[in-house]
Amino acid sequence: MNCPAKKNEDAGIFLDYCAQSLPPARMAEFEDHLKQCADCSRLVDAQQQVWTALDEWTPAPVSSNFDARLYARIAQEQAAPSWMTWLRRFFHPPVPYSLWKAAVPVAACAVLAAGILIRMPDAASAPHPQLRAEKIDIEKVEQTLEDLDILTPAAQAPVGSM
Amino acid sequence: MLRVREGDDTSFALLLERHRGPVIHFLYRMVQNPSVSEELAQEVFLRVYRSRATYEPTAKFTTWLFRIATHLALNWVRDGKKEKGQESLDEQVVDGVDRQVRDRQPTIEQEMLYQVKMTEVRKAIDALPAKQRAAVLMHKYEELEYSQIARALNCSESAVKSLLFRAYETLRARLAHMAG
Repeated sequence: MNCPAKKNEDAGIFLDYCAQSLPPARMAEFEDHLKQCADCSRLVDAQQQVWTALDEWTPAPVSSNFDARLYARIAQEQAAPSWMTWLRRFFHPPVPYSLWKAAVPVAACAVLAAGILIRMPDAASAPHPQLRAEKIDIEKVEQTLEDLDILTPAAQAPVGSM
Repeated sequence: MLRVREGDDTSFALLLERHRGPVIHFLYRMVQNPSVSEELAQEVFLRVYRSRATYEPTAKFTTWLFRIATHLALNWVRDGKKEKGQESLDEQVVDGVDRQVRDRQPTIEQEMLYQVKMTEVRKAIDALPAKQRAAVLMHKYEELEYSQIARALNCSESAVKSLLFRAYETLRARLAHMAG
């Protein structure tokens, strides 16, 4: 077999060997290799020392009232209104949502924002109060000029024509 | 879990009985605080119960369970809640040692040696990046397969192997002085 210490892709064999999870044939092959490879033997020894050290780490005992507390919380949730349960399930899913699922509300927000932006120009194109005032002023000026035009011929008309 | 989905509460009790220990122990080694680990474990089983109606057996139940546990533990570590819980760590570990002492009745010297050794192990595990830590704990203590760890961590199997290799390499270096 190729020396796993020299080939990175075979490095997992050390973990599998220490975990005793290698298939029997592969295990025998690796043990044969270990007899003649000092590098691999060293690595296996080091890995086994880590393994032994980790084995000694015992966790703290579980509280005797763990189940009772859990069932109390379940009962509390069941007594809550169903919309609250729904909200809990939505905001605290058991496992995180996939990215594409998260993209759905984002896309919905984007569509909504685009809709708002499309409507915005209508509001922007509405005449500004100041502009409207100016328009009214121009109309008044035009009206005044027309009035003047009407008055002017009468003023210039020959006296005899009256 | 399929029976739990059908509304069979005794099956949930069986699930709890079977998986309570592994989940709490995994979380305990992740966050290194007994009360926080139990709190997180409660949340894990609560989420399992909450989603019983929509549960789809796409993978082993254990994989799904550890995915939830890993997700909660990584979030807890990420949110920096670790600092708060750290204060009670030493006290709790002494409790663990006491339990061990009572079991085996060692001498004071053995007890002290054991304490020092366990502190080294805890520190070495704690110093690993959170994902590497989770991978090592699931691999070493829960004996999950690479594919299960990959699903729990939401990454590829080759990424898991790489995480484990780097983690054990670090642990070998940190715990080398404990040999012999």
